[in-house]
Amino acid sequence: MPTYSKRKGTRRSEHWRHIIKLAGELYLLGNLAVAQIYLPKAPPPPADYGRIVFNSTSKTGPGPVIFDHWLHRAKFTCRVCHVDIGFAMQANATGITATTNHEGYHCGACHDGKRVLDGKVIFASCSDGPEEKSCDRCHSIGTSNVRQYDYDTFTSKFPKGVYGVNWELAEQTHVIQPIDFIDGLSMTGASLKNRKDFVVKPAYSWVHPIAFSHEKHTIWNGCELCHPDIFPAAQKGTVHYSMFLNIEGRYCGACHGKVASPLNNCQKCHPNAPPWAQ
Amino acid sequence: MKRKIFAVLFLLLAFCVQPLSQNGIKKKRPLPYEYGRVVIDNYSEKADIAPVVFEHWIHRSKFTCRVCHVDVGFAMKAGATGITATDNAHGYYCGTCHNGKTAFQSCTRKTSVEDMKTCQRCHSYGLRVASDYDFFKFSEPLPKERFGNGIDWEKSEQLRLIKPATFLEGVSTQRNPLAVQKDFSLNAKVEGMPDIIFSHKKHTVWNGCELCHPDIFVGVKRGTTHYTMVDISQGKSCGACHVTVAFPLTDCQRCHSKPV
Amino acid sequence: MIKGKLAVALLLIGSSGLYILPAIDAQEPSAPQAQTPRAGWQKEFDDVCSKTDDAMTFSQDELSDLVRRCDTLLPQIDKLDESRKKVYSGRLRMCRGLYAYVLEAKRNEKK
Repeated sequence: MPTYSKRKGTRRSEHWRHIIKLAGELYLLGNLAVAQIYLPKAPPPPADYGRIVFNSTSKTGPGPVIFDHWLHRAKFTCRVCHVDIGFAMQANATGITATTNHEGYHCGACHDGKRVLDGKVIFASCSDGPEEKSCDRCHSIGTSNVRQYDYDTFTSKFPKGVYGVNWELAEQTHVIQPIDFIDGLSMTGASLKNRKDFVVKPAYSWVHPIAFSHEKHTIWNGCELCHPDIFPAAQKGTVHYSMFLNIEGRYCGACHGKVASPLNNCQKCHPNAPPWAQ
Repeated sequence: MKRKIFAVLFLLLAFCVQPLSQNGIKKKRPLPYEYGRVVIDNYSEKADIAPVVFEHWIHRSKFTCRVCHVDVGFAMKAGATGITATDNAHGYYCGTCHNGKTAFQSCTRKTSVEDMKTCQRCHSYGLRVASDYDFFKFSEPLPKERFGNGIDWEKSEQLRLIKPATFLEGVSTQRNPLAVQKDFSLNAKVEGMPDIIFSHKKHTVWNGCELCHPDIFVGVKRGTTHYTMVDISQGKSCGACHVTVAFPLTDCQRCHSKPV
Repeated sequence: MIKGKLAVALLLIGSSGLYILPAIDAQEPSAPQAQTPRAGWQKEFDDVCSKTDDAMTFSQDELSDLVRRCDTLLPQIDKLDESRKKVYSGRLRMCRGLYAYVLEAKRNEKK
């Protein structure tokens, strides 16, 4: 506890020093408390993890869309959807409408009834014609038996990790081969040298250092997905990250905790930490 | 005692500013036809008319940046010019060209029901107004780019597919041609990131000098101003254009292009 | 009696203003800039601000002179109607700003 004199007639500068000291100590205490008690909540079962519900903007339309990441994740890199097509990383932030799908943007970039993937034609999203009514495949809340892919069946042969599928290992063992380039949509720019992996030094001594793999992240995301929107600062050590911000959905939490490996999997980033926390 | 408590609380709040900032979130990427869209609403809603939606792409293909932002006098931020219907009707700002002769009349003195259709060509925010120019038809023959409008404006001009005008009769001052400015490189200061090659030449061809100096770039001695990506993403220096109208910051290699 | 007549007279004059004012407003206080023959201040503006592309070739004295000429123009522009004042004061600010900027750069070079 701070020690200060209560005697009257104390000089004003001493007052302010005591106040600043007290504020500083309270801030540190607060930070400690937050770091200890603010842990990520338990994630949903792996089959439901990464599920996004888009609220339909149309009042007369077919209702909200359910999008499960796991199927697209097995087939495409993050970059293709979040950079080339341009989906935002928060539900309802992209502004997808039936019109934009019709125009060949957003979902309509692939779901146009013409593109072929794995020998099959990709069904058209927001189609006009009555023949190929595939609305329910996405606008599936309240409907049953319309979703064609089941998580357990689809991922039965995928290597498993601490939580659900070990996507990294699945790619390394060629169980999945995510596509990184779509004809007519993706464009290659001049290549930038892949950044090196580095260690993020924590501010508090009890926090295990974070081994950040830049290389792995750029294979799936390229540079533009993270820079400069999610990570604008270029100089290391200038931005202060915290679990608090990650859990809020910022910085690492833009992906981790929503779609990529959950924040509860401590060891993924803090190699010497416990394997799981909630 | 009260004062001390307030002081402590104030200092605590000051420390908490960081979590309140908006960093660390992936923003929505505007669609190619939305990129460069400016909504102007200084007076429209007060006058009970829809705010103005200005799309850069069509004007960009017809005029250099300098013609509008220096000769006509538009500011570089939405709402900063303070355009009024009177200004337009008197032949200034939009009315410089949108005078019923060069292009459709903007903000006529007396409006009738028939005129409303013309008003809505610009005052279209929130309304479903069919545009006279189709972005898809317009952009189809032009070379493509990864981000922004999806159009490589530079290459389009080199291939003479677009010919932006540099002079407006009666508005622009007759200038001598500008001496070719030298390109120069800027140190990236980040290990592994290629240095920036800044093309002064290209920029001056479209902007002239006064668009950037001294409003956007104040420093007079090279190497004395410290630019950061954080500042740029907030609209300072390069970010005055390269966040909303010119190619966006996600296209790293366009600037960080010095061979390593 | 006289007061009453005075009041009526004033009322008539005042109400006639209601008819005259819209007519004044209907006149174009300034014709579109492309059509007017260049006024004195406008010629000076064209002369001063057409040299921005040559700014780097001028000497410090020439640049100081251009800045001074811009400063002389400003009060003339301030007297114009609202639209023209807004447009030309903005353009003059940019043009003067550039000359001052280049002047400072040259002074810096010599240091």
